[in-house]
Amino acid sequence: MMNRRRFFYCAGSVAALTTAAGCLGDDDSGDGPDADDETRTTAENETDERRVAPDLPEIEDPPDAVYVPTHREAMQMLEPVEAGAYALAPMLSYPHPFWLVDGRETERVDPDGSPAVHLMFTLWDADTGLVLPVESGAQIRVERDGQEVGSPRSPWAMISQEMGFHFGDNVPLDEDGTYTVEVTLPPIGVRKTGALEGRFAETETATFEFTYDEDFRRAVIGGIEYLDEDLWGERGALEPMEHGQGGGGDEGDDHEHDDSNAHDEGDGEDTGHEGEDGHDADGHEEGGGNGQHEDHGDGHVPYSSLPPAEDYPETLLGDPETGDATLVTTLLESDTRLTDGSHPYLLVSPRTPYNRVPLADMAISATIGRDGEELATVDLEQTLDDEYDLHYGAELVDVQPETGDTVTLTVESPPQVSRHRGYETAFLEMPPVEVEVDMEVPE
Amino acid sequence: MSLPDRTGLSRREYLRAVVAVGGASALGACLAEDGETEDAVPGGTDDPESLPSRQHAWNDALSTDDDGNVQLPEHHVLVALSLVDDGEPTDEARETVETSLRTLERAYEWSNEGLVFTVGYTPAYFERIGSPTAETVELPEPTALTVREDPEPDDFDALLHLASDHAEVVLRAEEALFGEVEEVNGVAVETDLSTVFERLDDRRRTGFIGPGLPAEHTDTSGVPEEIPEDAPFFMGFRSGFRANQATEDRATITEGPFAGGTTQHVSSMDLQLETWFKQDSHRQRVSKMFSPEHVDEDLVGDIGEKLSTSSGVTDERIEATEEDARTRGVVGHAQKAARAREDGQPLLLRRDFNTVDGDRPGVHFLSLQREIEEFVRVRNAMTGADLAGNGVGGVQNNGILQYIFVNRRGNYLLPPRPLRALPSGDPA
Repeated sequence: MMNRRRFFYCAGSVAALTTAAGCLGDDDSGDGPDADDETRTTAENETDERRVAPDLPEIEDPPDAVYVPTHREAMQMLEPVEAGAYALAPMLSYPHPFWLVDGRETERVDPDGSPAVHLMFTLWDADTGLVLPVESGAQIRVERDGQEVGSPRSPWAMISQEMGFHFGDNVPLDEDGTYTVEVTLPPIGVRKTGALEGRFAETETATFEFTYDEDFRRAVIGGIEYLDEDLWGERGALEPMEHGQGGGGDEGDDHEHDDSNAHDEGDGEDTGHEGEDGHDADGHEEGGGNGQHEDHGDGHVPYSSLPPAEDYPETLLGDPETGDATLVTTLLESDTRLTDGSHPYLLVSPRTPYNRVPLADMAISATIGRDGEELATVDLEQTLDDEYDLHYGAELVDVQPETGDTVTLTVESPPQVSRHRGYETAFLEMPPVEVEVDMEVPE
Repeated sequence: MSLPDRTGLSRREYLRAVVAVGGASALGACLAEDGETEDAVPGGTDDPESLPSRQHAWNDALSTDDDGNVQLPEHHVLVALSLVDDGEPTDEARETVETSLRTLERAYEWSNEGLVFTVGYTPAYFERIGSPTAETVELPEPTALTVREDPEPDDFDALLHLASDHAEVVLRAEEALFGEVEEVNGVAVETDLSTVFERLDDRRRTGFIGPGLPAEHTDTSGVPEEIPEDAPFFMGFRSGFRANQATEDRATITEGPFAGGTTQHVSSMDLQLETWFKQDSHRQRVSKMFSPEHVDEDLVGDIGEKLSTSSGVTDERIEATEEDARTRGVVGHAQKAARAREDGQPLLLRRDFNTVDGDRPGVHFLSLQREIEEFVRVRNAMTGADLAGNGVGGVQNNGILQYIFVNRRGNYLLPPRPLRALPSGDPA
């Protein structure tokens, strides 16, 4: 039996752009949310007891790019659960708007005011700690007192600045009480390579419980952390949430940053998360790709962050931007394990700016040109690899790239993943980009 | 299950709720509500030869809509049956079954105004009677057909499908078959099935179909208010277009001892309508149900009223399914499934209907086809595993997969009428 009350409310620091958010620990079986009262701002006092969702301010006319939302989301972290090859970390928040994507269109989903939670989970490989950022038809069933609540649902694959790639949905509930959620994880159908080859072939089921009550609502609604209004809608992103399990330690850490004016635009070290001039995705250390491989197993929740561009070996062709995404593009020599050994492999790794969140469920093709002529066009296949993580790749069978060749990357479909606020205007219109082959470039 | 509270329900809602409950008390409640109906139900025939030799020959006996599409009856019951005795059925048992079924045919006109029905047999039945089916009929055990499901198999022996526009008729027919009433539409019930079959009450399924019916269930958990008022199906669009249905000929077995029969697949699934209606937009519903082009060309209308005898999925659109996945980021259910057509002709004759069994929205997807393998082929095309990861997700933007959750599957042989009473596997 899991300890339902062992959870964390992530909130506190308003210095969201310049520091990792503090997660307030509460691992007692007691009155969780009350423990962090002193770190709350006035938002809590205004919380109507019966409110199921906050009234969030809107940003007029956000840029067609990743932008800073009005607030950091407060949420309850439940204990991670293991199921076969998978581990998942459930997270709960108030129901809030998000955006569905089909093609290049978005559709805003608003909560309807009924009792509900925004239920999320991050899913990762229990062995390697690698977040599994693809949608393969996970299902959830919610029960209360042994009775199914609503119909089963397949939660949306989503990206958020704070949680990275995760699954989530606004899930309607009945009344206050303890709910059980059963998550069914079917096999992952996309191409898997390296240590992931042949894995995730079984259906697994994970179960967790949560309590929906006034304490929960007060904590998540009261815990919202509004940013300085000057930042709303500015290009930039919230830093990934830290899911530390440090209890009091985190709380102390949080106090250090509990300063409503703490956002410091001039802080060179941290503004990698902000600014119009390039995304500096690679300079960012927090939530870095490599860290996630080490964080599992001790209660940490990995964040879906891809390795920085310079970590891709062999011939890096470039990291062009389109639609505010970065397409790290590299050419692996024919001895790569990603092909059968006779042809080079073109690898494209699209990611968000700032946090390097992988962009799943895209369709990308690559056209190789030489002296103004098109030599070949290949469809890239979405692939999960333990080293390169999510990428789109193809063996170049019909053409041997040479220095001076061009590779034109055409995004046929932008990432068909739902978006939390701040990502919904980016990664939609993604014009083709071109990189040049330079076989002489060292890795 | 107890009878529903009459208060606050419309007449139609109440009658459907009563059908879902079933049994003598339900029939009584139905008569109390609808006492006048019985006189209006047309009687049947004493001449079995006058009825089609195919059990599934319903189309000519049913009504059609303004576009000439066949309309299924409004009320449906699937009665699960278990043989009382193991072993090869006796002639006496066969006689009992045939006589019982003929009672219904004498009592009710073979039509939506009267009653249409079929009886089908599972692979478990042929196994139990120790008589494998003839080589000309492949009747596999039901299995999971996608990686997302773990269905319970229909492993009982037989299934009766009763359908009528009158709630009272399906209820009374069922009661008559089990000797619970003495008379059915003026015909005395002298023989019944109860010495041969037991009814499995927990496997009994019910449902409904027709314009406006789904919207009457918004008081059921999981059925949102946003369902269009006139929609004939829970998913909000018309279905069963003439051009998208296999003909009865196409669905009929042509060779061997069961020539004139057909195979039936029944899957029961939950529907996620909250997401479908409260999160997806109409534009997204159209592109996911039909194709992205249906949105571009405004082919559908609110509930499919712009479609007349076809879902509007052209050969060109079917061909473009993969391209739509890659370049549009979404593919339609109809265009995907239509990839399984043979020479442009659909393989399945769908007789599916909606349900609120278990107090939540669902579909009993009943389909007739010459071979079960054809159903599997269409289902694979509909699953579109080849498309997942190529512009669309495993389920997201991949037709309507995200909204359906399969709980049960069953495969059946529907023998031709002369062989419908406890057939052996190879009645040469």
